Amino acid sequence: MIAPALLDNLIKVLINLILATAAIIIVKRDVLSLVSTYSIQSLLLVFVASVLYMENANVMLLYLALLTLVSKAMIIPHFMERIQKKLNIKRDVEFHYLSPTSALFASVFIILVVYFFLFRILGELSLSNVFFLGATVGVSLTFMGMLIIFSRKQTITNIVGYLTMENGVLLFGLFLTELPLIIEALIVIDLIMLTLLATILAFGINSSIEEFHARLNPFKRFAAFKSRLLNNEGEDE
Amino acid sequence: MNAFVQYSVLNVLFAVLVSPLFMSLIKKVKALAQGRKGPSLFQMYYNLWKLLKKEVIYSSNSSWIMRVTPYVNITVMAVAALFVPLILIPQPVYGIGNIILFLYLLSLAKFFMALSGLDAGSAFGGMGSSREMTISALIETITIVVFAALAFALKTTNLHEMFLQILESNMLFLNPVLILISISVFIVLIVETARVPVDNPETHLELTMIHEAMILEQSGKNLALMEWSHAIKQLLFMGILINILFPWGIAVALTQYSIVVSMLAFLVKASVLAVAVGLFESSCAKSRLFHLPSLFTIALFFSVITILIEVFA
Repeated sequence: MIAPALLDNLIKVLINLILATAAIIIVKRDVLSLVSTYSIQSLLLVFVASVLYMENANVMLLYLALLTLVSKAMIIPHFMERIQKKLNIKRDVEFHYLSPTSALFASVFIILVVYFFLFRILGELSLSNVFFLGATVGVSLTFMGMLIIFSRKQTITNIVGYLTMENGVLLFGLFLTELPLIIEALIVIDLIMLTLLATILAFGINSSIEEFHARLNPFKRFAAFKSRLLNNEGEDE
Repeated sequence: MNAFVQYSVLNVLFAVLVSPLFMSLIKKVKALAQGRKGPSLFQMYYNLWKLLKKEVIYSSNSSWIMRVTPYVNITVMAVAALFVPLILIPQPVYGIGNIILFLYLLSLAKFFMALSGLDAGSAFGGMGSSREMTISALIETITIVVFAALAFALKTTNLHEMFLQILESNMLFLNPVLILISISVFIVLIVETARVPVDNPETHLELTMIHEAMILEQSGKNLALMEWSHAIKQLLFMGILINILFPWGIAVALTQYSIVVSMLAFLVKASVLAVAVGLFESSCAKSRLFHLPSLFTIALFFSVITILIEVFA
């Protein structure tokens, strides 16, 4: 059995690293490394959930970890990479309202404010330090995701921002509320649908009308085949 | 007092003798990453030896600053080497190791270097000095916040006491604060030693050089001293990072056995770090001067977060 103090420290380290990945997502300009940073962030969340499982032995946490591992650390980044390859956008260098530097300053401010309000709200619950830190970082991560969405111009980075927001919700849920597995699963399905839709749109945007026709061709052939089949039936009679 | 003299001689000599090795090691790693064979590990020693035998030539426009700067630099770095225990943490700290004085010593060296860049009246030197000052104006505040966070986390401003504290607490890799700070210290290391995303140590291109531009007018012995002091500066920052992240192996008592072990341990740890720096340098391109603040802000972000965590959690 591992000592609880050690586990607490481990969780703190993981939470800090999650914050670090969020900071990197805010300043990075290279789309592929944005996606891989996101998948590292999800992997860290998996570790957090597993360490919490070691502490609490709540099977739900294990399921959450598995779900996150499969969906957010593997499937979604894979789709994102496909979108990136298809759209051929390598870098996102346009920012509005906030430069990455000021976005980082803003996120420090956000963390402070979140801490202050959470302290006002949850101060009476007398949570342990680690849980409070986790909740604070979770909410801050949600806001940092929002910061990414509104300071970037490329859609693909906005999606990464949205995914970061969801990671924040998951982190908050892990530490503060008993986030029911069914809700988390629904959110994950939402996210996968979002990336899928984005993939479909990305593929659609880049193709010309001729290509669409070419893609419709199989159906045409199918229709021809069907009509021939019907005609044959008619001849038989 | 005798022990203090022993410590000083040991630490400073070690820093002076070993520092060029890591300059060449980083060069070698970068060369290997690019598929080249790279220089020998002792190339920097050969360079220094060659330069030390050469004649010093001063520009006719230059003043005493040009003549004094190399000696100021090497002296300051030798004094600063007292502040960062590399192979031995002396038990009573003998009143050295104050972190603020350490930072001031480094900026003194930098100040003289920038002045000597201006002194010869060459356009490149002035450009290098101006860039160096711009960058250091940005990074110094961040360096101070980083070390303030370290001081806040460990409740002391003395580097020796800090390292002793880390060594004694058996929080193997698991102190969240130290991990955050070491990210910041790594960025400071990259910036202060003029490495790739900030400056390119290899080029003599007028568009990119910063550190090289300032020492362009130095020659012979003086150039050797400037390069040597740069190498010592790098070793000191590496020493700080190593002592924060992985101090195990450093001697706390002055016995022959422990000193030898600690020297070997330091060489191994510093080589690992040098390889990491070389790989980091190979993995990114030099960024534009106006993009640098985002790198600096990451360091600032982590140190501010460290302080927040220390205050609240």
